[in-house]
Amino acid sequence: MELILQQAINAISLGGVYAMLALGLAIVFSIVRLINFAHGEIMTFGGYGIFLSLLFGMPPAAALLIGVGAAVVMALAMERLAFRAMRGADVVSLLITSFAVSEILKVLFQNGISARPVPISLPASWSGTYQIGGATIGVLPTVSIIVALVALLGLTLFLKRTEIGIAMRAAAEDLEMLLLLGVRANRVVAVAFAISGLLAGIAAVIWTAQRGSVDPMMGFFPVLKAFIATVLGGLGSLGGAVLGGFAIGILEVLAQAFLPEAFAPYRDAIVLATVIAALLVRPDGLLPAANADRS
Amino acid sequence: MGDQVTRKPELAELQFHPARRKAANAVQTLVCLGLVVLAVLLLSLLFGRSGERIAVQMCVNVAAVVALGVFCGNSGIVSFGHGAFMLIGAYLSGILTMPAGLQRTALPMLPDFLAGHELGVWVAMPIVALAGLVFAAATGSAIARLVGASATIATLGLLIITHGVAIGAREITRGSQTFFGVPRITDLGVALGAAVFLIIVARLYRESRWGLSIRAVRDDPSAAIALGINPRRSRFIAWCLSGTMLTLVGALYGHMLGAFSPASFYLPLVFAHVAMMIVGGMYSVSGAVTGVVVITVLQDTIRQAEGGFDLFGVTFPAVFGLTTVALGVAILLIIWLRPQGLVGREELGPGSSSRMFNTIRSGTKRAAAPSIVGDGVLSAEHLFKSFAGVAAVSDVSFKAPTGAVTGLIGPNGAGKSTVVNLLTRAYEADKGAARFENADLLKISREGIARQGVARTFQNLRLFGQLTAYENVLVAAFASGQGAQGAAQIAIRELAAFDLDDMAGTAAESLPYGARKRLEIARCLAQAPSIILLDEPAAGMNPAETEDLADRLSRLGGERGVGMLLIDHDLRFVNRLSSRIVVMNRGQVICEGTPEEIRADPAVIEAYIGRGRTAATAQAAQNQEDEPSRGVVET
Repeated sequence: MELILQQAINAISLGGVYAMLALGLAIVFSIVRLINFAHGEIMTFGGYGIFLSLLFGMPPAAALLIGVGAAVVMALAMERLAFRAMRGADVVSLLITSFAVSEILKVLFQNGISARPVPISLPASWSGTYQIGGATIGVLPTVSIIVALVALLGLTLFLKRTEIGIAMRAAAEDLEMLLLLGVRANRVVAVAFAISGLLAGIAAVIWTAQRGSVDPMMGFFPVLKAFIATVLGGLGSLGGAVLGGFAIGILEVLAQAFLPEAFAPYRDAIVLATVIAALLVRPDGLLPAANADRS
Repeated sequence: MGDQVTRKPELAELQFHPARRKAANAVQTLVCLGLVVLAVLLLSLLFGRSGERIAVQMCVNVAAVVALGVFCGNSGIVSFGHGAFMLIGAYLSGILTMPAGLQRTALPMLPDFLAGHELGVWVAMPIVALAGLVFAAATGSAIARLVGASATIATLGLLIITHGVAIGAREITRGSQTFFGVPRITDLGVALGAAVFLIIVARLYRESRWGLSIRAVRDDPSAAIALGINPRRSRFIAWCLSGTMLTLVGALYGHMLGAFSPASFYLPLVFAHVAMMIVGGMYSVSGAVTGVVVITVLQDTIRQAEGGFDLFGVTFPAVFGLTTVALGVAILLIIWLRPQGLVGREELGPGSSSRMFNTIRSGTKRAAAPSIVGDGVLSAEHLFKSFAGVAAVSDVSFKAPTGAVTGLIGPNGAGKSTVVNLLTRAYEADKGAARFENADLLKISREGIARQGVARTFQNLRLFGQLTAYENVLVAAFASGQGAQGAAQIAIRELAAFDLDDMAGTAAESLPYGARKRLEIARCLAQAPSIILLDEPAAGMNPAETEDLADRLSRLGGERGVGMLLIDHDLRFVNRLSSRIVVMNRGQVICEGTPEEIRADPAVIEAYIGRGRTAATAQAAQNQEDEPSRGVVET
């Protein structure tokens, strides 16, 4: 029972990170049809933001905020410098562009900061534990669950209630039409990138706080999982991305907790193979995005 | 130019087109081969030993990228999964060919069935290829189901899975440690030979019926399905061929390196190959070759600078990863400036209508007209379809026999196109049945509709844009089960019937609008259908073109006995051709009869122009509708 509770917390906390990353990918994809390979570098940049602010003696809480801000700035810069020129290009061109951006940024991180992990030391009190019914539960996973849920809830409200949020949902259906209605596309797209950066920044905070270091590949691997999550959920579907993110996080923790020791090296492979098997049954994902194709 | 050429010689020219296309294909293959050989010669002549080393690497990359392009270029889906195949090829070939003594020290835990074979490299190759094929078939059954970005991400998943398994399977691969002792047999001769061989395979496949089919699927999946092409199977074949080729290349790469680890086949390699493919142009074999040559030159120039250098007395520090940055920048520039890559969409070299082939005069006969279609009736029986609660079609029943034209008219939004889409399974009907002869069209597979003799055209033109006019028709003839000879003869027949003979070698997307409309009908007639569903064939045509189309259709109907279900907004056009007309409004059939009966029916007039008008105003309105300005295309 205690084990189950602990593992459940771990699963939801990991799933929350994947869900935020996947949601960031899905928001951008739904509007500009870009699968942003460089999303991981947005997250990594957030991590370096935290590292550098701590290096310059900022208090930890401020450093985390700066980290989130850095990710937003990076996302906006990417949109402005690399992707705006490509708007309306086909999915493959956009994907390859982001692939190139991702590779370039990784090299810049390696040369500009360090190819090795750099440490991030947050106050020891943050990594404490507490007890519920005999189970020992980490503060950090709990906080990360709360943060993730608040972020997801806030975003839902934003998309449903605010004018720009509604414009974004409209843009996901038909950007061209929205332009004809006189909505400024650049603003909608920029907000989409800002939100994806914000989510990646929050993910970076949770990730670095749990891992205690940043390296140039930090964002790349969780974002790979998030890609798979968006496809599992149904590419372009926001709800699907969140669902897919949680599903992969939970699968991963399950695999870690319950697979026999002999299978340990194959954990990721087994999780991914499970997901691909799920796609065999539902090629459009768990919650397919609405997509009218008139012939 | 066109006005000097009289009708007759043109027709004669068309019969030479198949032979000229073959010649053009051969020349294009030679151009690819020439590029590689030239680059190899230049490298080894200019730079000696080190140039030769670069040339070996380049040839292996050419082989890899060409093999990658077999799937990516023809299907239009970028794959990151090829690193997985290369990894399998390299490790398997390494294990099979490694000296037994060395193997016992390097891989003491190796399972028995793999241990101690010590095969020659060339003996091992068929086994490696077979393993690649098996792995491709296993993964392809999943990946061929996906399209677009989902497929790309799934291939990335495949790469991660394979990489993870290779690191985990220590007994076989030494995990993330270096795997060594692989015989280094890949010299320049072997590498160049492999590149040449795989280029030829890739070119043959691209121009074969399977290559045409998958390129048709890439350009327009719905139209390909309507011709009876199974997209999943086409992608599966491409994936299997590409995977098998890549496994072989992986083996050669392993035999070039001699020692490697799973990381040698991971993202950096995959990134480099994808970059080469995109920079050169992913849709052609010559694009793949060009990309590799250009990037190799770029990379090796920059690699000189990576370790730091002096320029005019200024010392530049060593920058790790400079080549990666250069690759990234090359990709960005290419995509911004030339989105189709350096080579573009078509192969380098002369096209089939190039003047250089004018001397080729080996003709292909025009196929005889197909035998007259027997009696049959396409019937819609109580069809229902709603979209999100709105009934687009409710309780629609009618019959359309072969040997006659049945008109289907109605105002915009009446549900006409939905009916066609239901009959051809582009949409699933909620209820009802559709029969042709004895087949229930709603029970067979979507691709199976064409085999029942039911063909269609689309309201929004759906051609295979990058295929030539000739290839558009050819692929349809192939899909109906024709052999190479028969398909070519049929393609000639249909192109001639629709006056497209001088455009045979032109890419469909570059044809003028009227020609594209005609090509779409020619394409579906190449399958010798019993009945065709024509969804607004005259939309956007001027009155003269419409008249011309009507002539052709009525002639074809007379000669071949093909039934037609004709949807159009041009009532004069429909009236002229149809023996019976079905009128729909708001998803229902409101009237059915001969053109004269329809014209007199008050319900029809009301549906078109509203209540309270007289027949005279209706006539006036219709006359107005026949004005040239009418041609607003519904999209």
